[in-house]
Amino acid sequence: MSLPADPPLLLVGTDFRCSPIEIRERVAFHGEDSEHALVHLLARPGIAEAYLLSTCNRTEVYIQPRDEDEAYRSVLELIFLNRAPDLEKPGRLYVKRNGEAARHLLGVASGLESMVLGEPEILGQIKQSAALAETVGASGPVVRRLLRSAFSAGARSRQETAITAGAVSIGYAVVELARNIFSGLEECRVLLVGAGEIARSVARPLVERGARELVVANRSVERAQQFKEEFPQAELVPFEQRMEAVRSADLVVVSTGADEPVLTRKQLKEAMKSRSPRPLLVVDLGVPRNVEPSAAKIDNLFLHAIDALEHIIQRNLKRRREEVPHVEEIVEQELDHFRHWFHSLEAEPVVASLQKQAERIRQDEVTAVLSRFPAETHADLERLTRSLVRKILHHPSTRLRSRNGAQDLSHLEFVRELFHLDDDEPSEDHDRR
Amino acid sequence: MSTFLDLATLLLPLLYLGAAVAYGFVFFAAHPTAGRVATPALHGAVVLHLAYLVCLILRHRQFPAATVSQALSIVALAVAIVYVFVEWHGRERSTGFWMVALVFFFQLLSSVLVRPNPPDRQIFHDPLFSTHVSLALLGYAAFVVGAAYAFLFLQLYRDLKAGRFSTFYGKLPPLEVLERMMLGALSIGFLALTGAVISGAFYAEQLYHNAWLRDPKILVTLATWVLYASALLLRRLRRWQGRQTAVASLAGLCAILFSLVAVNFFFTDFHGFL
Repeated sequence: MSLPADPPLLLVGTDFRCSPIEIRERVAFHGEDSEHALVHLLARPGIAEAYLLSTCNRTEVYIQPRDEDEAYRSVLELIFLNRAPDLEKPGRLYVKRNGEAARHLLGVASGLESMVLGEPEILGQIKQSAALAETVGASGPVVRRLLRSAFSAGARSRQETAITAGAVSIGYAVVELARNIFSGLEECRVLLVGAGEIARSVARPLVERGARELVVANRSVERAQQFKEEFPQAELVPFEQRMEAVRSADLVVVSTGADEPVLTRKQLKEAMKSRSPRPLLVVDLGVPRNVEPSAAKIDNLFLHAIDALEHIIQRNLKRRREEVPHVEEIVEQELDHFRHWFHSLEAEPVVASLQKQAERIRQDEVTAVLSRFPAETHADLERLTRSLVRKILHHPSTRLRSRNGAQDLSHLEFVRELFHLDDDEPSEDHDRR
Repeated sequence: MSTFLDLATLLLPLLYLGAAVAYGFVFFAAHPTAGRVATPALHGAVVLHLAYLVCLILRHRQFPAATVSQALSIVALAVAIVYVFVEWHGRERSTGFWMVALVFFFQLLSSVLVRPNPPDRQIFHDPLFSTHVSLALLGYAAFVVGAAYAFLFLQLYRDLKAGRFSTFYGKLPPLEVLERMMLGALSIGFLALTGAVISGAFYAEQLYHNAWLRDPKILVTLATWVLYASALLLRRLRRWQGRQTAVASLAGLCAILFSLVAVNFFFTDFHGFL
């Protein structure tokens, strides 16, 4: 069985591997910018359909071209070189065609191309861009179906593999640790000793994942107030009262710039005596360490420094990397579906499906009324109905065949929709080819 | 009925083994399909197991604990039912491998030790005695489940304490949940054992008057009861943390095994019916 021909597609893009942030930010498109870009692209005669994906890590344009050279020149000019002439340098842009372009988008949706392997936000960003392309009228049948395959590949990769499993940032690693100890973050009282950027980066995922009670102990009152502006639910306590706060906390994150430990073993041992028998998780993100390392020996207290979190992150990344072959398999399966769909858009399969459907209706109707006619007329009835169907379908079939080609596929899609011809499953005829 | 019993004796360990393997895939490989296979496989095995025990009762017209094989089979079923409840209640399968492996182990022993014609003992027709044995076996099963959760708790506790993040990390429920499961199982076991001790005392008093108090098995069982009572009380009073309770649970299981094996076979006077 030979695979169907690849759909005509053109991808031009740049990402974090090819360009530094200074260039990527110049070709980042948001809101109205994206709308205008798509409208301008569609105004070019070489472009039938367009899709623009712009995130902080990539800007990519997918085109279903009428004229590939013309489309390429338009994309370069309108999207990239006008804004960032540096992209002309070799290696800054990548260009992929047909099946390769489709495979790339499916890989992006599955998190294979992300800076952090398996990063989950990209699928939402692809969906947002797809909605915009739909609103502007830039996506036609090919791009629409390609995006459907991308959504499917993205969703399946997340459901069927562990490509998004495990924390890969310090903040989420703290969440992961806490989730291995406590039954729910909702019931955890979190104490942050230190209110700097590290504390914020930990507080964000904790709040996002359900932590409701935040207590902050910081030497500088101004910085603590700034923290409260971002996290209004946070309760501020003086730094000197941090040990009282430890007694009622379940999770303590320490990230101060102090040279000496701000929580000693003795202090923690005292605090543990007056606490409930609930475990206490202490995460020390300070360098030099803010918690006396020997405190790890205290019963029911779990002390982890930044190295342990790094260990978790590396372990999770390794696990994600092991999932890559499974995700690639899913991408290939979805790419095959897309190719089969595209193949089914060619005129001949549409004509064949149309004739098959008409013949089925004819047979059903003849069978239903055959008993009412004398036996000697049955052959004539068959002949008459066959001839009728053939004549009715003759003109539409001829017209469809005469417009065969990939340049304008919308009429074939329309015929499929109009007559409710199945467009997803490859027919047996295709498989035999 | 005889053919069914023979077939079930052979099939039950195999079905539990199959379920344990499926749960193993869930635990070690996080296999998405294995989870969908494991639960129905275990449910199927439990249904067959229930039918097997009902047939045993119908065939021998006595409570099916007259032999070691039958008693082990009841413990296996009780552990399986407790786990089915835990999985349904907690909607998580991550401890399934360990529990079903235990069930498989007990049922395998039961099938290996099976005797075609168990003795017909009058004692097993007595309702008070049957209650005593049922409660004791239920208690043992719950203590086995509790000890399994205690083992998992201690493994995860050690991993988290040492920052090792090995096999158990990320694959088990959180420490607090494991502790809750352990305490739940221990509480059920303790209540059942209390019932077994009381019903056994009544029964023995009728038959042996005061002589039963000298039976080594009873002395070990009472010591076990005191151990579990202290562990649960100290935890309730918040004097003990999860780790101490888990260690006590494992010690309690050792005491039970000692009373079941060593005492039963070598020392006991009238608990030698198994």
